[in-house]
Formats: sequence, structure tokens, C-alpha cells
Amino acid sequence: MSAPLVRLAVVPPRRLAVARILAVLATLATVGIVLALSGRDPLLLGRLILRSTVGSRFGLEDLALFMTPLLLTGASVWNGVRVNLWNIGAEGQFYAGATAASAIGLFVPLPGALMLPVMALAGVLAGAAWIALPAVARAWLSVSEIITTLLLNFVASLLVYYLATGPWADHVTNALASTERLRILIPAVWGAVHWGFVVALVVVVVLGVVLARSRFGYETAICGANPDAARYAGIAAAPLLCTVMLVSGGLAGLAGMIEVAGTVHRLQGGIANNYGYLGIVVALLARGSAVALIPAAALMALILDTGIVLQTAQISASAVLAITGGLMAAIAVADELAAYVRVKL
Amino acid sequence: MELLTGLLSHAVLSGSILAFAALGEVIAERSGVTDLGVEGLVSIGAVVAVITVAVSPHPWGGFLAAGIAGGVGGGVMALTAVVLRANQLLCGVALTFLGVGLSAVLGRDVAGAPVAATFAPVRIPLLADIPVIGPAFFAQNVLVYLAYLVLPVAAHLWLFRTRAGLALRAAGEYPAAADAVGLSVMRLRSLAVITGGIMAGFAGADLTLAVVPVWSDGMVAGRGWIALALVIFAGYRPIPVVLCALLFGLVTSIGFMGQARGWPVAPAVLNTLPYLGTIGCVIVPLLLSRRLRRTMAAPASLGTPYHRGGR
Repeated sequence: MSAPLVRLAVVPPRRLAVARILAVLATLATVGIVLALSGRDPLLLGRLILRSTVGSRFGLEDLALFMTPLLLTGASVWNGVRVNLWNIGAEGQFYAGATAASAIGLFVPLPGALMLPVMALAGVLAGAAWIALPAVARAWLSVSEIITTLLLNFVASLLVYYLATGPWADHVTNALASTERLRILIPAVWGAVHWGFVVALVVVVVLGVVLARSRFGYETAICGANPDAARYAGIAAAPLLCTVMLVSGGLAGLAGMIEVAGTVHRLQGGIANNYGYLGIVVALLARGSAVALIPAAALMALILDTGIVLQTAQISASAVLAITGGLMAAIAVADELAAYVRVKL
Repeated sequence: MELLTGLLSHAVLSGSILAFAALGEVIAERSGVTDLGVEGLVSIGAVVAVITVAVSPHPWGGFLAAGIAGGVGGGVMALTAVVLRANQLLCGVALTFLGVGLSAVLGRDVAGAPVAATFAPVRIPLLADIPVIGPAFFAQNVLVYLAYLVLPVAAHLWLFRTRAGLALRAAGEYPAAADAVGLSVMRLRSLAVITGGIMAGFAGADLTLAVVPVWSDGMVAGRGWIALALVIFAGYRPIPVVLCALLFGLVTSIGFMGQARGWPVAPAVLNTLPYLGTIGCVIVPLLLSRRLRRTMAAPASLGTPYHRGGR
């Protein structure tokens, strides 16, 4: 008789890691077979991908640049998921942060040393403002935050497109699809990688430590795990939930500011590049731990970068999107299957 | 007068896409599964419909093929999120990525070309001659009647007047109880998710065969996500959800009219109206009435995978 299957409540990290590696390999094998069937050489492409991502200085720089926004949008979503709040609107808050930072950078004459801190502050506040309505509605009226935050993404994306092609469009170089280049940019730390990368890493670690050690972190954790117990313990949930969401918005807004001031250098339509949505994936991959956001963002950055390489090899961006979806599904399934063990009686 | 008729006609037409997709999602969510894959499945349905009618020019053929393709996509969701019990949100977003990506790859050859066969408007005698509302409600293509009348009534009767519907709702409210009386939660939820997928496929076919008869990459433009919002707005009920879709269609067409008539507002700003309107519609009723919060509540076990013997 076969041993019965038992589902573990807490999955050991090693089982999880093995399951996910298997999921990635399975996806790669599937993609390789499809590529081979369509008459391409998967091994050649594989070598090309390795050389242009982890195998070269330029590849590593690109990875760090992709990781920077993903760390912060991942942290934005993760911060909510911890309390059972789903911020699907990091994309919109990212746009809001990028827009506010650009407005300061383009139109407010500030001394050089003040410029970047003020831009960062504006980004954080704009991100928080963009989530304020969903946050209040969720905390006091129990309106599903999934939908309200999500719908604001479309609004933000349309408004940024309007600003960048309309009133704020660049009339100097006549590149009418974006604003002028910002005058003051985040300085570089290693090649094309700027200090924003370091800031993002620090923010993620600090967020994890603060939430694990502070009274705020403790009370919000209780609200997330068991709202009834929180109420019984005399914790007023509504202001806490609202604050958590505002922090999430601020993190995504900071991501937008860093992206515009560090990487892209001008505000343009589509600047958020799905980083907000991919932040959901990063947060889900990281599960309970803030530090785990770092490898999760690294994996997502690797996937994005691979996508760019594949596009240079004449494979469309849409195909890459589909591959990303397939990989996500495989990882989701692997996470669940890793929880099952056979026990010997 | 003519303006009002045009406005209503456009509202009914563009709302019907949302009605199909949102109705399918009501069924899936009533069984306890949040299917965030709608956007992807609508895209797949839209492109499959175009490709099918390009091969053989029969609109119904395209419509059915889109439904089958949506059903297969729903099957993927059912396999991962229901049978294997993986995280529903992650699987849903993955399905959207898969669907949007695949639809663009599949549609490369037909992109931009006019669709070979479309659903033509059908005039209902007498009713279509009513001023203002006649042309808008009674001279539309047959899918409109399917979306606003036939399917929602059928879904309502199924969910609230049959034993099978009761079983489906039980799987979403209290799966352990459903399991205890011998119902298969896994089968009920899989069936509901596949049905939702078929409806999302229909929504895609409606888009390309009746509303905008050309396939272009990204043309679904968030309609799947809006359908998800409508489900919450309508309190997970089949008949209110299609009325909400119609209301939403109206908000969309106001923006459309504004562009056509050259209102002094940027098109991009007008385009934000549907999204802001939906947010208002979700928040305002709850602001007005506390009792609504209970009657509009989500199924109790929505989004929670069912493990027998779990808590």
C-alpha cells in the first residue's frame, strides 16, 4: 500500500526552491521544444541569453536596472499582502510618482542638492495620494481594494500619456512623445546602474526590519491574520489598514520617481512598463519574507531581460509575455505541489 | 434626438461585450474562484473568432470557436487553480499574460485586415420603430439580445432556481458543507470556471464580430478587468451585472460622443471616464446604505482553495 499524501502547513524553503527550479526547467524545456519545432536552435538562443544577461558586465547592469523598480513595486504589493490587502494598483501609483517627480524636475527651480530629495518626496506623496481613495474606501467602507486600485491604473496611464504627448511634450527636440530630459538625474554608482538601485535595496531591508520589530508591524500583522482577534485586542483596524495602503502607494510612487530620474530621464507614456503588475508576481514569489523580495525581483528581472534578448532574435514581445505567463503558472503550481509529502506510517 | 439615439446604440453595443464577460465571471466567482484571467481569455476569443471567420465566413462559426477557445483557457485555470489548488490570483494573472501574449502571436497574420463575416443588426418589427430607444434596443445584432436577455435570465434561473445552481453556490459559500453532502467541490468549481471561460471567449467574439470588426493587438484594452469590477458592483448577481454593463457602456459612449463632437476636453481625459465612473459606482452605493454591504457581499469562500480536512 502506498504511503498517504499529507499537505504541510508550512513548506520548508528547500522544498520550495527545488520545486520552483523544476518549474523553471519545465517551462524552459517547453519553450525550447516550441522554438525547435518552429525551426530555431534553442541551444544557440540559450547561449545568447546567458551571454547577454548574467554572463557579461552589460547584462548585469541591465539586470540591476530592471531590479530597481521591481524591488519597490514588489515591496509595495508585499506590504499589503502581509495584511491581506491586494494592491493591484502599483502600476498607477508608479505613474503618479513618476509624474510628480517629473513636475518638480521640469518646472520647479530648486538648488541642485535639494532637487533629488524633493523629487523623491513628491514621488512618495503622489503614490500615496493615488491610493488614498481606495485606501479610505477599503478601510472604512470595505470596498474591494483589488478593483479600485486596478481601475486607477488605467486612469494614470491615460493621464501620463496625455501629459507627455500634450501639455508637457518636448518642444525642444520635437520628440513629441515624451517630456524634455530632466535636468538633474540620479548619479551612477556602477556603469549604468545608479544609486536608485542601492536605495531600493535599503528600502526593502528597512521595511522588513521595521515591520518585524515595530508595534505598527505587529498590530497590522494581527489585523491581517485574524481581524476578529485584532478587534478583541482593542486594535482599531481601519486607520491601520489605511496607513498600510498609503505606505504601499508611497513605495510604488518612489519606484516611479527612481525610474524617471535614474533610468529613463524623461516622462513618457508607458514608462511603468508593467512593473506594477510584475510587482504582484515578485511579492507572491517572496511569500512571507521581505528579504526574499531581492531574489524574487532578480528572477523577474532576468525574465524581463531574457525577453529583450529574445526580441533582438526576432521573437515578438507578445511571445515573451505569453512565456512569462506560462512560467508564472508553473511556479504557482510548483509552490502548491511542494506542500505535499508522502509520510511513512 | 439623433445624438441620444446614437449614444444609446453605442452604449448597448459596447456594453454587451462586458455583459458576456462579467456574466461568466459571476458564475465562476459564485463557485468560489476568483478568475483574474478574463482579460486574457477575451483576447483569445477575439482573435480566434477573426481567424475562424477568415477560414470560413460564418459569424456563428467564429462565435462558437471563440467560446471553445475560451473554454479551453478556462480549463487551464480550472486545472491549475482548482484541481491543483495553486494560488488563484497568481494563476489568473498568469492566464491573462498567456492569453494577451498568445492572442497577439496568433493574430499576426490577420491584424488590421477587415473581418470576413460579422453579425448584422436585426430589426424587431414595431419595437424598432419606437422613437429614440427603438433603434438602440431593438435594431441591434443578435448577440446583444443574447448578452442582455437570454444568457442572464438563464444564468439567474440556473443559479437561484435549480438544485445544480444551489450546489454551485454552496461550493462558493461553504465548500466543506457541500463536500459533506456528497457534492464534488472540485467538479463544481471546474465546471463554473470553464463556463466563465466560454463566456469570456464569447465576449471576445462579440468584440471583433459585432462591435469593432478588425483585430489589432491590445484592442481588448482592459475590458476584462472592467468586467471583474462590474461583478463586485453588481453584488455577484447575473441580472444586475448586465444592467451594470449597460450603464458602463453608456459612460464609455459619453466619452466617445465627446470626441466625435469635438468637446474641448482631451480624448485621453475623456477616456478615463469609464474607469472613474466604475470606481464611483462601486463606492457610492456603499456610502449611502450600510445594509447594502451585506446583500452585496462576496461569496464567503471566494478566493480560498478548498482542502478537505483543512480548517
